[in-house]
Parts: sequence; C-alpha cells; structure tokens
Amino acid sequence: MDILYLLIPLSVVLVFFILGGLWWAIDRGQFEDIEREGERILKDS
Amino acid sequence: MSQATLESVAASLAQPALATGISAPLVPLVPHSAESLHLLDDPHEWSAFSRRSGKAADCWESSVVVEGMHCAACSFTVEEAIASVPGVLQVQVSAATHRAKVVWSAAQVKPSLWMQALQQRGYRAVPANDVFASEQRRVETRKALWRWLVAGLCMMQVMMYAYPAYTAHPGDLSIEMEQLLRWASWVLSLPVMLFSCGPFFSNALRDLRRGSVSMDLPVALGIAITFAVSTLGTFEPAGAYGREVYFDSLTMFVFFLLTGRWLELRLRDRTAGSLEVLMNRLPESVERLNLQGVFERVAVRRLAVGDLVRVHPGEAFAADGVVEQGSTVVDEALLTGESHALERGPGASVVAGSHNLSSTVQVRVQALGGDTRFGQIVALMQSASVSKPRTAQLADRLAKPFLMGVLLAAALACLWWWRTDPEHALMVAVAVLVVTCPCALSLATPAAMLAAAGNMARSGVLVRNLQGLEALSEVDVVVFDKTGTLTREVLTVGRVLTRAGVSESQAVQMAAALAAHSLHPASKSVLAAASWPIYAGVSWTSDGVTEHAGLGVEGSAVAQAERGGESLTLRLGSAEFCAVASDAMADTPRAYLADAQGWLATFELHEELRDGASSAIQVLHDAGIAVHLFSGDGKASVQHVAAQLGIDDARSACTPADKLAGMQALQAQGRKVLMVGDGLNDGPVLAGAHASFAFGNAVQLAQAQSDFVVMGNQLHAVVHSVLLARKTMSVVRQNLWWALLYNAACVPLAVAGWLPAWLAGLGMASSSLVVVANALRLNRADFSRKGI
Repeated sequence: MDILYLLIPLSVVLVFFILGGLWWAIDRGQFEDIEREGERILKDS
Repeated sequence: MSQATLESVAASLAQPALATGISAPLVPLVPHSAESLHLLDDPHEWSAFSRRSGKAADCWESSVVVEGMHCAACSFTVEEAIASVPGVLQVQVSAATHRAKVVWSAAQVKPSLWMQALQQRGYRAVPANDVFASEQRRVETRKALWRWLVAGLCMMQVMMYAYPAYTAHPGDLSIEMEQLLRWASWVLSLPVMLFSCGPFFSNALRDLRRGSVSMDLPVALGIAITFAVSTLGTFEPAGAYGREVYFDSLTMFVFFLLTGRWLELRLRDRTAGSLEVLMNRLPESVERLNLQGVFERVAVRRLAVGDLVRVHPGEAFAADGVVEQGSTVVDEALLTGESHALERGPGASVVAGSHNLSSTVQVRVQALGGDTRFGQIVALMQSASVSKPRTAQLADRLAKPFLMGVLLAAALACLWWWRTDPEHALMVAVAVLVVTCPCALSLATPAAMLAAAGNMARSGVLVRNLQGLEALSEVDVVVFDKTGTLTREVLTVGRVLTRAGVSESQAVQMAAALAAHSLHPASKSVLAAASWPIYAGVSWTSDGVTEHAGLGVEGSAVAQAERGGESLTLRLGSAEFCAVASDAMADTPRAYLADAQGWLATFELHEELRDGASSAIQVLHDAGIAVHLFSGDGKASVQHVAAQLGIDDARSACTPADKLAGMQALQAQGRKVLMVGDGLNDGPVLAGAHASFAFGNAVQLAQAQSDFVVMGNQLHAVVHSVLLARKTMSVVRQNLWWALLYNAACVPLAVAGWLPAWLAGLGMASSSLVVVANALRLNRADFSRKGI
C-alpha cells in the first residue's frame, strides 16, 4: 500500500490541474452561452 | 444544409421585410444609411461602445446588438459576415442575448465597414452603449461561477480524503497515512479559504470597520474558527485538537453557501436584465432636418428641443414629440402596458421608447432625455426599487440585535460545552454561527415587493413607493373620484325625445345624415346609433353640410327612398344653435335636431363605459371590496354609470371638498380607502387616502401625487394591483414566518450540539433560497382577467 503515499499527493496535483482547466474554460466564456455548441451541429461548413 | 442554402434562408427571411416595409410579426429592418454608419468612424464615438483590446496594438473590442436574429443559425451567419471583413480579428455572437463582440484593428478597418458587411446579409448592428455596465456584470458573474466551482471541486476531493477516517476501524489506518490524508485535505482547503471565501471575509471586515453587523460576520467567523481548529489538528496531531479535522464540513458548507449566493445572483441578473432592456430602447442616432433642409443622421445626444426628426418604421422614437407629417402605428406596450398597436396621425404625440411600426413620420421634438415620459419612468423605477418598505426597515433593525444574540449564543454554547467536551465546543459554536439565517429575515419583504413591482410594471402600473403595496393590500373601499375613470371619452345615445309626428328612428336617421360630416363626439354617437336595429329606418342623404365649430352642423337632407322628395334644412347641435329652449333640468349632455319649423328631436347622450369596467367592478365586489363613486358630474349621468356597474354608493356634483369629506367619513368608520383619480386636481384627496392610483395619461408622472400610476387606461390594472398587493403581503408574511420558524428551530438544535456544521450550511443556504423562490411566484401571478 506504499503506493498511496505517491498517489494521494498526485491526486492533489491532479485537482489543481483540473482547476486550471476550469479556469481556462470560464475565462474564455464557455459557460456563458451553453446552447450554442449544441446548435453547432446545424452548421455543416 | 450547405452554406449557400443557409444564407439564402437567412436572406429570404430578411428580404420580404425589407422590400415591403411592413410585416406583421417581424419588425421591419431598415438599413442604416451609409452616412449614419460613417458617423461611427469617428474615434470619439468609439468609446461609447468599444474599448481598447489588449490583443494587439490599436485594437478595439466593440459590443453591438444585432437586430434581425431569430435563431441559432443566424448567429453563425452573422459571425461569418463580420469575420469575412479584413481587419476583423475575432467575432463572437451570442444567440441568447443577440449581442456580438467584435475585435478589430483600427489600422485596417473601420466599424462602418463590418457593419455594412452585416447589413448586406439582412441584419443590422446597433452599438450597445451599456457595454461597461454589462461587462462589469459579466466579470462579476464569471468570478462567482469560478468561486463556486473551486469550492465544489475541492469539496468533492476533500470528501474523498475524509472518507477513510469515517469508515476505518481503529488500527486500520496507520498514523502516517492519516497524517497524509489530513495534509492533502489542508492543501485543497486552502484555495477554498483564500479564494472562494473571499467575499465573506471582505464583507465581514468592511462591516466591522463601519461598526455594523451583517450576515457575513458570523459566517466568516464560523469559517475561520473551523479552519483554525482543523489546521491545528493537522500540524499538531498530538495537541488538544488533534483528534479530528473538519475540512470536509468546512468545504461543504462553503459550497452550499456559495450555491445559494450564485442562484441569488442569477435571479438578480434576470431582473437587472429586464430593466436594461427598457434602458436600451432608445436609438443611438436619429435623422434630423439640418439647416440646409436635408435630413442628416446625428447622434441622439446632439438633438435639441424643437428639432424636426424623421423616424422610419422599425425604429424607436428617440424623444417625446408631436407628429408633424405622416401617420403611423406605434407600439407603446413597454411604456403603458397597452398591448394593441396605436394609431398616431399629424398632431398626435408620440413618446420616446415606443416603436414606430408602419410608416415614416416626421416628428417635432418636445422633450429629451430625463424630461421624456420614458426618462421619468426609468427614474421612477429606479427610485422605487431602492425605497425601503416599513416591514423591511423593521427586519433590518431586528437583524442587528438578532446577530448580536447569535454571536452571544455561540459564545455561551461554546463555554457550556467547553467544560465537558472542549474539542466539540468550538464546532458547536461554528454550527450556531452558520445555521442562523438573518438574510432570510431581511430578504423576506424586499424580495416579494420587488417581484410584485416588476409584475405591475409589466401590466402598466408604476409603483412610486414600495410602502404603498402594504397599504394597498389592506383596502376595503375603492372610491373612484371621476366618472371619467370608469367611462371612455366616447358618448352613446340614450333617450330620444321627438316632436309629435316624428318617429324616433326617423329623427336618428335624419340627424345621422348630418352627423356623418362631423368628427365631434356627439356626432359620432348619433351616427353610431343610426346603425342600431331599434333605430332602423329609411336613411337620409345630406347636401351642403357646413360645420360651425363649437355649435353644430347645418345642411339640407332628403330621405333616400323618396326620389326627389322634399328636402329639409336641418340643424344638429347645441340648444342655442338649434334655437330651442335648453332644458334647465338636463344634467346629461344633449344634442338637438331642428328644422325650419323649430325643435324636432333631442338626443340624450351618455358616456360609454370603459372596456372591462363592469367586470373589473365585479371582481372588486367578489374580493369583498366596496366601490364608491364621488363624481363632480351631474346626477343623471352619474346614476346612469352607477346603475350599469352596480356601484353601491354614487354621489354626484361633488366639489373637491365634498370628496375629501366623504373620504374622511369613510375613514372615520375604520375603512381603508383606495382613491382612483386622474391625479391632476385632487391632490389632497389622493394624499389623504390610504392608497391612491392615478391614471397617468393626463399627468406629468413626476408630479403625480399618488402611490401608483396607471400608464395605460385599463381599469383592470387597478384590480390586478389590488389583488396582487394582497397576494404580495401574504407572501411577505409567509416569508417572515418561515425565517422566524427556521431560526427558532435551528438555533436551539445547533446549541444543543445536534447539528453538524455541514448541515447547518445547507440549512442556511436553502432557507434564503426558499424565501427568494417564494417571492418569485409573484412574478407570474396574473389577476387581470380572472378573479381571485
């Protein structure tokens, strides 16, 4: 079970990576117009 | 669908409207002239709707509202149209808000170029002048979302780390492993503490500096204590607090609180959004007649009173004014709640913010900016929304001692538990601090009243102060102080008296032949009566009719059936004009018909009831409200109206002093009186009443002395408001009871130590949401057509 001593710190780092990803998404306004991406399928060019 | 078909669909949507200039559901789009777009190429104008973008040198980011967008597919067409212009770096169109954000380089392109490119596809771009306000709100929303997501993600992960500590049997978990899990939890709680909880701490600090107490203080205290205790436990596992850490509780209740705040922010945004729609109705530029006699497009802020402007169909009027040339149909729905389009011909006044629907008109500007009706409405709405009703003031006054009590209770609970279980003591204090929800208490009243005021504004009633809603809910007598509030300006023929040998229908038909040439209300009423079945008869034709202003009409008439029959010279009008003795006893308006031999017939005229007047009175009766009419008019016409409507008590020929005395007599009986008047010359009566309504089409809004102003002329708006006010006060009472019961139940539970901190956080967040959601039910309530 010694591997947990590596995995738990790793999970903390992973959370920070996910948070970084979320920040990127929010900063680019991806949550402001939720319908838009779903409707992109209507467009075929 | 290929690109080409998509475009042709978009074009075919836009084209008919452009070609014919009218279309029923679509507001026709009128392209800006190239000249008007070039106005926007002046760098001084840019700052109104753009700002410098940091992406490259001399780069601007503009915000425009795109008109003519109907669906999501449009947003792609719009994006492509703008992006195809060289020099445009980035385009983003939101289908939901119809807004586009365009980043362009000033060195390569001018705003007019990409706006023209958009026009060629059948859309129209309007610079959004509220770019800064909406930008600020967007930043705020993004930050709130970001705070909430950080708290949520960290909460989930901290819960994972806490899980082994809950399930492990003694000895399963090595001390190192437990320590590692605590460390990991601590690291993930840091962003929650330092970032997500930022608003709690900064608000608490601000309040402490000002010496006031708010909701955020106990919350911030609770968070800080929990974090401090758990941090001690992490770094000194052997110390007094080493047995347990509370990072899971901490992150969870922060997450719940933020969820509550986030939802509140969304709800508030929706209200702010609708006010913004109102503000954005004024156009940016308008065509003004310049000194050379040519219409030239100028920015609205350069207009002056007395200018002549040309307004195309599809445009909004920029100022209050009088139509000088042309006639059109306008949509004033947002300003008066009047849902039908209204006709406006030469001489008629138009108001800023209403839409011109059918054809181009020229308008002489009479008032601008804050002086317009529109400006007054916006100002009234803003001032009403910050006024505080009495119950809310009471709740605010209560909140401070209440919070003090909570702090005291937390301290006492902590002391009590300290003697037996010092580890547990601090967490009990935290639960007490977090579970109390004075914000439900202080939100209870304003949330409900603002929702009601928004609802009333949509049905054409302006609330001048929120306090009035409370008074309005208590009224049990409605007094109409004018017959005119119940009737229209249109007259109808009542009794017809005739000379011996002339039948009633004959007299009506003869009079109608003359009346057809006049626009006087009395003439119109006689003409209308001629088509009634009871007055059916041989119709007459008239010849050589002349109208004498203020007196009547004169001309010769002949019965149609008798070809070449005897032609009579007739006069229709006032008693004096017809040379007959006026009936001194008459107290209704009358029209007389005379021929060469003298008096022929008398028409008694009645004022016609407003649409829905009788059903409105009926609804009031059903709601247990007595209806009185104190009118200055003559007895017969008042009796006539009262009898038709079933009004209990109608008094005629009242002077303003009589009205005041009558109202005071009612008040002396302990009745709560609602006065409905035109707000012009009955100031003391309106002011003395418990609550008052004024019909606003006659008054300057700013001078109206009533609590409420009806902007249209639907009587139903009054009924709707009374019933809505009752409902509002019942919602307020529900909210207050809920807040009181919740706090009364939860604080003792927390003091007794039965409420874990995370549950306390959930309880508090849901408590304030219950209050807001309950208030929002008022947004949809509609009493205008049905009963209670």
